[in-house]
Amino acid sequence: MNVFMDKLALLWPEVAMMLGAVACLLAGLSSRQSLRKATPAVAMLALVVAAVLVRLVPNAQGAYDPGVDPSHFLGLGGMVPFVKMSVLALGLILVMVASGTPEALRQVIAAEAKEGKAFEPGDCFRGEFYAFMLFSLTGVMLCAGASDLVWLFLALELTSLPTYVMAATSRDKPAAQESAVKYFFLGAMSAAVFLYGFALIYTATGLTEFGPIVAYVEQNGVSPMMLTGVVLAVVGICFKIAAVPMHFYTADVYEGAATPVTAFLAFVPKTAGFVSLIGILGLVGWGESHGGTASELPEPLVYLLALIAVLTMTVGNVLGLMQQRIKRVLAYSSIAHSGYMLVGLLVGPEAVHAATGSNTLLSNGLAAVLFYLVAYGLSTVSSFAVVACMSRADGSEVETYDDLAGMRQRHPFLSGVLLVSVISLVGLPPLVGFLGKLYLIGSAYAAASAGSATAWVYPAVVVAMVLNSAISAGYYLRIAAVAFFGTDSGQTVELDLPTRRWGAAIAAGAALLLGGLPGNLLVESSRKAAEPPLPNAVPGATLDRQNADDTPPRETAEAGPASAPH
Amino acid sequence: MVNVMMKGVIMTLAESGSSFNHYAALGVLLLMAVGFGVANVTLTTFLGPSRKGEVKGTVYESGMNPIGSARRRFNVRFFILAMTFLLFDVEIVFLYPWAVTFPSLGGEAVDGGLDLLFLGRMLFFVLTTIVAFVYAWRKGVFRYD
Amino acid sequence: MPETLTALGLSHYLMTGAVLFVLGLIGFVTRRNLIIMFLCTEMMFQGVALSLVAGAKFHANVTGQTFVIFVLTIAAAEAALALGLVVMMFRRRGTLDVDAWQAMSG
Repeated sequence: MNVFMDKLALLWPEVAMMLGAVACLLAGLSSRQSLRKATPAVAMLALVVAAVLVRLVPNAQGAYDPGVDPSHFLGLGGMVPFVKMSVLALGLILVMVASGTPEALRQVIAAEAKEGKAFEPGDCFRGEFYAFMLFSLTGVMLCAGASDLVWLFLALELTSLPTYVMAATSRDKPAAQESAVKYFFLGAMSAAVFLYGFALIYTATGLTEFGPIVAYVEQNGVSPMMLTGVVLAVVGICFKIAAVPMHFYTADVYEGAATPVTAFLAFVPKTAGFVSLIGILGLVGWGESHGGTASELPEPLVYLLALIAVLTMTVGNVLGLMQQRIKRVLAYSSIAHSGYMLVGLLVGPEAVHAATGSNTLLSNGLAAVLFYLVAYGLSTVSSFAVVACMSRADGSEVETYDDLAGMRQRHPFLSGVLLVSVISLVGLPPLVGFLGKLYLIGSAYAAASAGSATAWVYPAVVVAMVLNSAISAGYYLRIAAVAFFGTDSGQTVELDLPTRRWGAAIAAGAALLLGGLPGNLLVESSRKAAEPPLPNAVPGATLDRQNADDTPPRETAEAGPASAPH
Repeated sequence: MVNVMMKGVIMTLAESGSSFNHYAALGVLLLMAVGFGVANVTLTTFLGPSRKGEVKGTVYESGMNPIGSARRRFNVRFFILAMTFLLFDVEIVFLYPWAVTFPSLGGEAVDGGLDLLFLGRMLFFVLTTIVAFVYAWRKGVFRYD
Repeated sequence: MPETLTALGLSHYLMTGAVLFVLGLIGFVTRRNLIIMFLCTEMMFQGVALSLVAGAKFHANVTGQTFVIFVLTIAAAEAALALGLVVMMFRRRGTLDVDAWQAMSG
């Protein structure tokens, strides 16, 4: 009961987002045109209010009793505020980039042309577009706060369902609807797969709350049914992050949807997927960091994740190299980046490989993933936003390399932004993408030197990652080279959408800045985020746990199942 | 009432100890399903007043034409209305467990009136549905012109 | 319940759930009509729901049943969405065969 009320007290940011979404819906239906035009502003206001609330709401770390509730990375961990803040910040940029998308639709233009009483709310879906953005972002925030399988399932669906509609209604072209149908059907299938995984986890343990499940697993080990459940959950969630067995939709959907929506799809569901994967994998592994004895993930999972990671980055980069259309190239690039991030999940938090004893980002896979999510989000959103800022002379979207040719002469500002984002995606210094890759590789390196049974996997994964970065440079640099040294196609015009332009610029500017000294802030916060929740949040408790590894955790493990609520 | 009867039948079947006990429940279910259908048709034939006429003889007295291809296109409003129905349908699914457990929440056993708290929560939940309803109304889902 | 009726163990229910799930998956991959494909995903969801209820019965708690209610809710939301998308596609193309849409490939 009290746990429930405590939990509710942490949800004010989500409540604000929900209210903002409802406000968007109502504003979009208003009979006053000025109010309808203000819908994106309402959405942005909701995001800002939610961000302020994230700062105001007390951190969850002190709010629980480890004797009752064994710690877990999600829900009660330090990850929650970090994920919420980064999702809100990127969400603000995404709303800026997306403003103007529904307004460009024929149906909305026709509906808006009618003044006053003649306005027909049934014909206009401007408010819905922004409201769905907010709903989807709320879903990601709830994923981070999830401490229960039911909750996680609902949060994942709340993230996904609005994106299907956004993809379908973002453009007049039939390609958008086609891609949305593809996206939806495969999404429903993948939802069934990870839900079956959840069902098996529940059947194996009789529990749905993360803390008690961790305690149960520590006592009884990982049963085959539990392992099957986790594997199915991972495979199902691979759809959200566009990783290999479930990546087929990516290029088509990203190409079919309007470009601002594509930017949204490339960041939001992916973040939700990675956050949930951290939660699901934390059920069966990385135990030492939250008080268990088992340190690594179970062996089959290590091999599975390594295989998925290597295949994902290879498929993404090789196919990306063969594409001719910009949005498809960037789609395959986003697949490849999922592969990189899976390496961090494979490594897990630093406590697992505490050979060095140093608490740096370079040995912490989870912190590296969280850092990389932000780095990737900024770079990929700004690159998609640049594409969205331009159109051909006939009003259709920019599609091929040829359309970008000679951009530097016609759109010097946009081509600068594009250059920054592309270089950040390659992972060259001094941009944030470089730091992200450095930390991922560093964490895998640290894991390789820890000397566990599966340690041979890590060097192999590192080699694959470096080779893939080299392949990816092929197409990223091609984009930059075409834009800067190609002969001007003379076809493109810049759209008159200042917010979109500024959205792209802010994202690229952040990618540039965070690669330098201010990046330390992000490094520091992602490191803190990946720390397991502290028992009673006593200062210095981390040190104690690292030195004496058997005092509080054992009690936790034994007290857990006995007091597990039903 | 039927439930009690069915339980009685199952108990007798189960206690009789014959070898097909495991499937007795299925058999009972089948019997009841078929029996209900047959009994209804028979009873209405014998008991009900019978009037005849052209309109009375059609399948749907509402005037819908039952003859012709079933693969006609429906007005898309039917689909939208079906979705609105789905909304309330799902709402009921959540109200049922709440309604069943509600009586056990109050009383002396629990301090501080848990029942009021749960009533408030459920009212909030209903409120969300009302918001959806208002939205659908403004969107013109319930207009037929 | 009388004992004779519970002679079916947990594994029977789980197997039935798994069969439903796999049948749905196979149908989803092999069929080419949108509505049939959607029904197949629904079948997968029902397999999951059966497993959850069986687990709830086995562990003698109601968490699994609660989970099923939420699963049904999400399934309903997906049904509404699928209906909308299918109607939209049919109005545009006049068919529900997925092979008819090959505007994008590569």
